[in-house]
Amino acid sequence: MYRALISDIYPWRTISTLLVYGLLFCSTQTFAEEQPRLAHGLVNRQIDTQKWNQSGFGWKGGWVLSQRQPALFVDTKHKTAADKQRAISHEALIHGLVQRNNPLRRELKETYQDQELYLRFRFRYAADKKQRDEGEFFVFWLDRYEGSDSAVHANHTPNIGVHVASSGPNKGKVVFMVRIGTQKTAWSSVELERDRDYLIVGRLSKPEKSLRAGFTRFDLWVDPKPDDLEKPVATTVNPQSVNGVRWVGFATGNKTERDDRIYVSDLVLSRTWSDVLDLSPGQIPKMATKQQAAWAAPVHFEKEIYPLLKQRCFSCHAGANPDSGYRLDVYEELLGFSTGETLIVPGNSEESKLVELVSTQVAEERMPPVDEGTALTKQEVAKLRAWIDQGAKWDYRLLPTPQTESDHWAFQTINRPDVPTVKSSKPMRTPVDAFIARAWQKAGIEPAPEADKGTLIRRLSLDLTGLPPSAAEIEAFVNNTDPQAYEKLVERLLASPHYGERWARFWLDLTRWAESHGYQHDLPRPYAWRYRDYVIESFNADKPYDQFIKEQLAGDELKPYTDAHVIATGFLASARISGNQMDKAAQRNDVLVDIVNVTSGAFLGLTLECAQCHNHKFDPLTQRDYYRLQGFFVNGQLGNLSLKGDGLPNPTEMKTWMPKGTFDFYQREAKKLIKRKRFAHTKTPHTWGYYSPLTGHEQIERLPVVNRDPLPYSAERLKQTKSQILIRGDVHQRGPEVGKGWPAVLGATTIDSDKLSRTALADWLTNRKNPLVSRVWVNRLWQYHFGRGLVSTPSDFGVQGEAPSHPELLDWLAAELMERGWSTKHIHRQIVLSSTYRQTRAFDETNFEKDPENRLLWSWPRRRLEAEAIRDSILCATGELKRDLGGPSVPQEREEASLRRTIYLFQRRSEMPSVMAMFDAPDSIASCSRRQVSTVALQPLFMLNSQFMDRRAQVLAKNIITETGHDHGQQVGQAFLRVLGREPTTQEQEQSLAFFQSESSTESAERRLSMLCHALLNLNEFIYIP
Amino acid sequence: MSFDPIPLNSDFSSPSLNRRAMLGQSVLGFGALGLASLLAEDGLLHAADGAPAVTGTSHFPATAKSVIFLFMSGAPSQVDTFDPKPLLTKLEGQSVPESIAARVPNIPRAGLGSKLMASPFKFKTYGQSGIPVSDLFPETAKQIDEICVLRSVNHRVPVHGPGECIALTGSAIGDRPSLGAWMTYGLGSESRDLPGFISMLSNSSGPAPQTPGWGNGFLPSRFQGTLVDGKRGIPYTKMPAGYSHKNRREQLDFIKWMNQEHLAQLGQDSELEARIASYELGFRLQTSAPEVFDLESETAETAKLYGLDEKPTAEFGRHCLIARRLVERGVRVVQLRNGGWDAHGAIKANHTKRSKATDRPVAALLQDLKQRGLLDETLVIWGGEFGRTPTTEGSAKGDRRGRDHLPTTYCMWMAGGGVKGGQIVGQTDELGYTPVERPISPADLHATLLHALGLDQHKLFYMHNNRKEITTVLGGEVIGEVFA
Repeated sequence: MYRALISDIYPWRTISTLLVYGLLFCSTQTFAEEQPRLAHGLVNRQIDTQKWNQSGFGWKGGWVLSQRQPALFVDTKHKTAADKQRAISHEALIHGLVQRNNPLRRELKETYQDQELYLRFRFRYAADKKQRDEGEFFVFWLDRYEGSDSAVHANHTPNIGVHVASSGPNKGKVVFMVRIGTQKTAWSSVELERDRDYLIVGRLSKPEKSLRAGFTRFDLWVDPKPDDLEKPVATTVNPQSVNGVRWVGFATGNKTERDDRIYVSDLVLSRTWSDVLDLSPGQIPKMATKQQAAWAAPVHFEKEIYPLLKQRCFSCHAGANPDSGYRLDVYEELLGFSTGETLIVPGNSEESKLVELVSTQVAEERMPPVDEGTALTKQEVAKLRAWIDQGAKWDYRLLPTPQTESDHWAFQTINRPDVPTVKSSKPMRTPVDAFIARAWQKAGIEPAPEADKGTLIRRLSLDLTGLPPSAAEIEAFVNNTDPQAYEKLVERLLASPHYGERWARFWLDLTRWAESHGYQHDLPRPYAWRYRDYVIESFNADKPYDQFIKEQLAGDELKPYTDAHVIATGFLASARISGNQMDKAAQRNDVLVDIVNVTSGAFLGLTLECAQCHNHKFDPLTQRDYYRLQGFFVNGQLGNLSLKGDGLPNPTEMKTWMPKGTFDFYQREAKKLIKRKRFAHTKTPHTWGYYSPLTGHEQIERLPVVNRDPLPYSAERLKQTKSQILIRGDVHQRGPEVGKGWPAVLGATTIDSDKLSRTALADWLTNRKNPLVSRVWVNRLWQYHFGRGLVSTPSDFGVQGEAPSHPELLDWLAAELMERGWSTKHIHRQIVLSSTYRQTRAFDETNFEKDPENRLLWSWPRRRLEAEAIRDSILCATGELKRDLGGPSVPQEREEASLRRTIYLFQRRSEMPSVMAMFDAPDSIASCSRRQVSTVALQPLFMLNSQFMDRRAQVLAKNIITETGHDHGQQVGQAFLRVLGREPTTQEQEQSLAFFQSESSTESAERRLSMLCHALLNLNEFIYIP
Repeated sequence: MSFDPIPLNSDFSSPSLNRRAMLGQSVLGFGALGLASLLAEDGLLHAADGAPAVTGTSHFPATAKSVIFLFMSGAPSQVDTFDPKPLLTKLEGQSVPESIAARVPNIPRAGLGSKLMASPFKFKTYGQSGIPVSDLFPETAKQIDEICVLRSVNHRVPVHGPGECIALTGSAIGDRPSLGAWMTYGLGSESRDLPGFISMLSNSSGPAPQTPGWGNGFLPSRFQGTLVDGKRGIPYTKMPAGYSHKNRREQLDFIKWMNQEHLAQLGQDSELEARIASYELGFRLQTSAPEVFDLESETAETAKLYGLDEKPTAEFGRHCLIARRLVERGVRVVQLRNGGWDAHGAIKANHTKRSKATDRPVAALLQDLKQRGLLDETLVIWGGEFGRTPTTEGSAKGDRRGRDHLPTTYCMWMAGGGVKGGQIVGQTDELGYTPVERPISPADLHATLLHALGLDQHKLFYMHNNRKEITTVLGGEVIGEVFA
């Protein structure tokens, strides 16, 4: 590195070093006409001296040269006599290197951080005779840092110079340009002429006077005249930029060839336009008034504005999917109706973004984009301004506001279809069969025969209760000659309390329920289990689905007060909360976003989440819709809510049932909060729920929460919170207040939206006219019975979702649900009593060719049991299952002491029970509408080697010996009965007995039996619903 | 029909995916032979003319076939490890100069109100490249010419959990697949017997491990990292008491026979077939896995190299050695998480302890991979979820001083797998607060790691909710200069 000090007295050594290296580097080239020397005149001494006295300017030392290819200093060649008058007698000569080089750079005395910085330099790009197609590159940069020889700077470093335009009308030509980082380049239309002297002027400015603010705007002039201040040839803006300048320098790049010679001189930095141009006071232009073409005459929208918008804007910014979400053909959208971003402010063109966009000097930001055509003329801009200033009158006949509507099937009201009359080889047991059979007929499909009774009872039991039937139950059913035996069995199973335990789990998947806060610390939510019990009880009671929705969405509001309703708000309260998020606005917003996403997905089957930041790309859902729906929830917060009931477990007992490590962690964190007076242990029984101090019952007490840094709770603040659009989804960019309401495409919100409660939302959801809620629910039920819904995207009924395989059947079931008191069990009956459901599993080549995916259900679609049902079935087979209902969860570490159903295992998000993690149970982070089924090698290892499984096999063997004694033949028979619910075939019997014969003397017969039992528990026959 | 081995990560129920995972594996040019034989074994390869049936489009040639991610959880301090700042010593005890402070983005924690603190560690230059490393890592420093130090990694999230999620999944929320899952999805495993992605945790002090860090997100769950206990190995590979290899085999034969009888009754069913095959696969895994985790076969010299003989290094040394054994056997991604770097107080003691536990094992890993010719095809990456403030935290004095979180710049390093060692990418300001050259985002790292494996971040996608999801959905570009 070579530092050459510019001063009248400079050390000779430096000069000679410079000379030597300069010549060395250039030895392969001829510069006979140039005498490289240290430059005096690179900085115009006369002017430099003037500026030198201004604070903030002045150099710290001399120029630093690159080791790769240093700049040389040469005498200025004066072409004319007039030139000789200039004070500049030396120039820096920079050669290209065909790679990035930083030949010349210099440090300022102080870091410059004021609002504006002007710069100028003279510049000549020497011609040569070579044909070039590579283009040229040369820039002057300003940065906080020196950078290296290879010119590496931080991103977003402002630089100004010449480059090959990559877009715009001069694409491919070498033009003057200005940029802040490569992403934000503004191309001027001034083309570089070689061998010509230019005066380059730049202005780097900050939007506000602040040390920390960045120099976000960079203007460029080429050979400006004194009054060109308002007319830069290019301007760029980049919100990310340096906020101070300490180093400046020149740089060459890949396109700068070795033969290129670039002469620079007369570098000046200053604070003002007049200084940078050395203007005498008389030359300084008056800048009091902003130059603007005024338009006083009244502007006619139809004749003057409409054609302008139509010609210049509408090709991209009209219609349902406008570019960047800006829609100009709808008046309300200009006012920011759906996105919160106002484009015009009637009466005030100065505040109107549209005017700024069409008139900005920043080519990159200007509309229409450079590639799409020329900028609007001054007159056009003036008219646009005048139109806005005159009140922005609109002609609705010309540009009517479109009705929010959609012809998408799922948004149409449900009309009950007639049940078709069809002839089929199968009996029409419920209307379901008629719809299904019609599709078979159309496709020419011959359905599978009915399954045998042993299969049917197993299928029904597993499907409806998640538990296999006992051998005795199977035997009784198989031998039952009552023609109503099947129907009676269905009724018995639907009435079993185990039905609720199975079907609640599907609902918990949808609600991403768990017993901890999630994220990093994942502290427990001690009484979240009450919501699990609420869901189980609701299913068991066949609570009407509309009531079920109402309680979960508005439990804290419903009258009269009941504990169960408060517990039901656990639905809204299952969102995760980070314990370490310091940005409280973001922390609160994350929860609200989660609530809206789950509510719209679970009930409406709509993927609303994208509308958080922009209008939905495919569905007629706007950002406004999103934040209006969010409006229902902004006045409440998650937390521990008091309960009134007698005999509820005392909260101090949680030690007895929480996993030890989790409990200890909870206690430690509680202690810290108690010290900070943010928590106190309570003896009040409570639940984990959602409560709004604005609309909720006053008698509900919201108790503090244990988390690392809990979300602050202030009833007053919550009461006053309004729903606002977050512009582009940014929590710190709050747009207009939008009130509360549901998506406009599903019907107008008629009541004064601020008065709407969540009860009103639930009423709207469960109104007979709502086209989605019932369809979505019956489709889910169908999916849980058959493995796939009539609509195979159960939480996306939007335009991008799959169309229903049997649209009329879906509507019939939906109508049936609503007309039969929203009874879920009624829908179960329609499905499981059908002949369709009773088919056997049989592969058929012809059917397979016609319908390879079995969407028409020509055979029973066998499917694997879910994780919970696998474990529960095993406990049933061994006879160990404890069938107690409800209550606090069981920690997995103590499961042997309490072998209850899997739904009762403690669900801490970061420590899910192993069987659940192993067999595709959801992670409780997002709503899960359909579980995956993966088959991996760890599953058999778990099923064969885990201590849990080995114990089960041993217990089963013991019980079999107790029941049958020591005869191997009888043991085998009993093992088959208990695990598979049937007798072994002769061959199976033989194979099993052979298994005993290879017994080695060291093994006890009992151990050998347990191995056989263990094998049976691993069979596909056991793991799949037959 | 043969029920012989299928690759561990294959899944009969979604053949298209299965095939693309396979294609990805072979187009890289390595392991193609092994792959072809595997396919043939499974009856999956149907090349009529004997020509390779695999014609998948290669994104580009890979420079690595495995990745070992040494994740230092809690966040090692950049100015105390690989980014020396002499000015800190000069300004010790002073406030952050406005010129530096003004650059620091507005994040909740940056320690700007606190006093600057000199590094309690000394720096020396090492190797041909002369890259400075603090005396925390004397052993790793000897490998510096293999290492490319990244000094300007940065993001905006100053919280451990979300930070770890950003580092390993690209998003702070933790709802996306981990990088390892993406890699396994893209390439599968080269091992017939072992999972493609294995994750191990050591030193559990400090912030809790983030499960999304090895989770599958919306990818099928077979791509999730298998969490392995460094001592016991892959879970459930140890047979219950009373089982011998022989009677397990008999038991498996019985299960297979029963399952095949069951299948024969039902006719064709790929999912049931897959489940039958998974038992054979599990058996192989159970047979081969203990061998991988049994370090008895390693020489005393190797054991010593990794520091297995000394208490501080024994645990992480074991993990590093296992990592080598895993990539040797074709495992695609090994992620070793070492906790406890969260030095809010007493950074001198904390970092000394952490480096004592990890320096030798890490250096040994590099050395060992190199001497076995594996370093060329194994990319090792080291680093935490963010860095630490150049200022001290709170009012502690002397050696009790520590540093707060700082995501605006931090150091990571890469070595092997095509990485050009002995270089530094990115520079920070004089105090180590923000990058001034070549800022690198975690997503840039992810793009770069995928690139090393021959995967194009824009081409590797998975359809989820009708959207083409890619790894670097929030942006991220390959850091070209990392590669030789």
